[in-house]
Amino acid sequence: MRETTPISPGEFAKFQEFFYRKTGLLFTEAKRYFVDRRLAERMQATGSASFRDYFTLLRFQASGTELQALVNLMTVNETYFYREQYQFKCLVDSMLDEVARTKKPGRPIRIWSVPCATGEEPYTLAIHLLEHWAQVDAFEIEILASDIDTAALDAARAGIYAARAVQYVPMTVRRRYFTELGDDRWQIIPELRRSIEFTRVNLHDRAEVARNGRFDVIFCRNLLIYFDEHSRRQAAESFFDVLYPGGFIGLGHSESMSRISSLFNVRRFPDAIVYQKPR
Amino acid sequence: MPLIRPTPPPGTDPGQAVPAARLDAADPTERRRAALDRAYPDGPAADLCRRLPVENEPAVREAILTALMTIGGPQAVDGLLPLLRSEDAALRNGAIEALQKMDRDVVPHVENLFADPDSDVRIFAVNIVEALRHPLAPAWLFRLVQFERHINVCAAAVDALAEIGTPDMVPALETLTDRFPNQPFLHFAVRLAIRRITGEAEP
Amino acid sequence: MLIVDDAATVRLYYRQVLETAGFAVEEAVNGMEALEKALSRPFDLLVVDVNMPRMDGYTLLRKVREAPDLRAVPAVMISTEAQAGDARRAYEAGANLYLVKPVRPEVLALDVRLMTGVPPGECPK
Repeated sequence: MRETTPISPGEFAKFQEFFYRKTGLLFTEAKRYFVDRRLAERMQATGSASFRDYFTLLRFQASGTELQALVNLMTVNETYFYREQYQFKCLVDSMLDEVARTKKPGRPIRIWSVPCATGEEPYTLAIHLLEHWAQVDAFEIEILASDIDTAALDAARAGIYAARAVQYVPMTVRRRYFTELGDDRWQIIPELRRSIEFTRVNLHDRAEVARNGRFDVIFCRNLLIYFDEHSRRQAAESFFDVLYPGGFIGLGHSESMSRISSLFNVRRFPDAIVYQKPR
Repeated sequence: MPLIRPTPPPGTDPGQAVPAARLDAADPTERRRAALDRAYPDGPAADLCRRLPVENEPAVREAILTALMTIGGPQAVDGLLPLLRSEDAALRNGAIEALQKMDRDVVPHVENLFADPDSDVRIFAVNIVEALRHPLAPAWLFRLVQFERHINVCAAAVDALAEIGTPDMVPALETLTDRFPNQPFLHFAVRLAIRRITGEAEP
Repeated sequence: MLIVDDAATVRLYYRQVLETAGFAVEEAVNGMEALEKALSRPFDLLVVDVNMPRMDGYTLLRKVREAPDLRAVPAVMISTEAQAGDARRAYEAGANLYLVKPVRPEVLALDVRLMTGVPPGECPK
């Protein structure tokens, strides 16, 4: 990689403030090495001669695509079973009990996982519910999982995972919900695969979102941070449309609704902060 | 297994033979839908702007602002600018956020906003201009600090220039401390802006 | 204490003043982020600006006063608005003290000590 002028402390402070205000992600001096390397990579990719030139691009670019490219590089987007598990704990220990209290008899509880990528999140959700929610047999529960990428959806429907993706699933749980295929691959049992509906959805399309029905809980983790400000706000409007009053949204651990929309109330539960549509 | 496979309920497509929602309907859900249904390029900004100041439901307000950001254009700007004087802080800040997204159509108003007799309106103008993705935004703010007499307006502009100012502005920024002697906050803001513009280390 | 202001310069200034006076400080850029932080861990005092995106200072104070865990946290509102009606609105929303910008550092440090019960000359814990 070509040598670039080092980023000065004042420039770093300026970048730190801008990035924090836009995304909610705060990189301290301790993360200098991590941040500098990624900034250098983007400076080279955009042909910026200096940090000043690059910052001007980041700050004034009409499309905002460079900011999105940088956010992509500054965040790690992996998907595996039991990722950010505290939210599922929050779901079964707090959110669902509240949902259940106002649910009319005979009506299903509906949960939406979007984006679901190759299925790790919705299957984790299902397993968590079956294993840990005391009222699981008292309700009908529907889990809908959606993504814009149809290849990912096909993989999700097949439900076959490498050992690395399931490494945090305890072996006893794994034996209940997976079949070992050999060569270190695990497949979700047919019964569980059949119980989740996978649909393609483009969150930028309000009508398409609405076609999936209404929900009590939505998990939209590690997606909106990659959207530009207006698209984020529109996505929040779409979620508001399809949530029941009192319904919840969980975002990724580095995401905050304070950078997205003021439509939802902040709810603090023992395991997580989530957002709630006013009743 | 208590999990059942979901079947999307029929008739939830808002595009299917639903009567047009009215912005003045009694039901806030309908008003919100009415606002979002009007969110398309060249949509009816004037109708939305008329409803905004009298709308009391926060979710409907948010939807109207979202729609106006999608529509943009001079009509939306004309409708939002008077709200900078609103007594309602949530409304005024919503208007600022929307105007920040309307780069091209806000530009013709910058000069008048900076000359407004109300110092708070001038501060809001600084907040709008600093967020515009317009190459002249730094120059406008710089011009403002050179002539502005109100300390809080100057401080807001200096805060913005800390991020988007250029090294040629440093000498003029330094003179601010003489124009506002005995004002520790402004002196702090000027020192910080100069450090961020020149890239010096912060204490 | 938690400093809530969308202007970075203002947050850094209050931080410097309050850290010099011996207080530990955290920051938020708008009312909603402040609410998330205040609900997550205890603060001795909130220092709140009025005009901010997503959630303004009055709305923040009203929500703080509605939240059982936060109802008693003292809050100072600091605004550019110097008219009589502005102070009244701040107190109605739940502020314990209303100051007008620019705030002198010695005034802020002293008021914060008074509101948190730390005697002058003594260092907060």
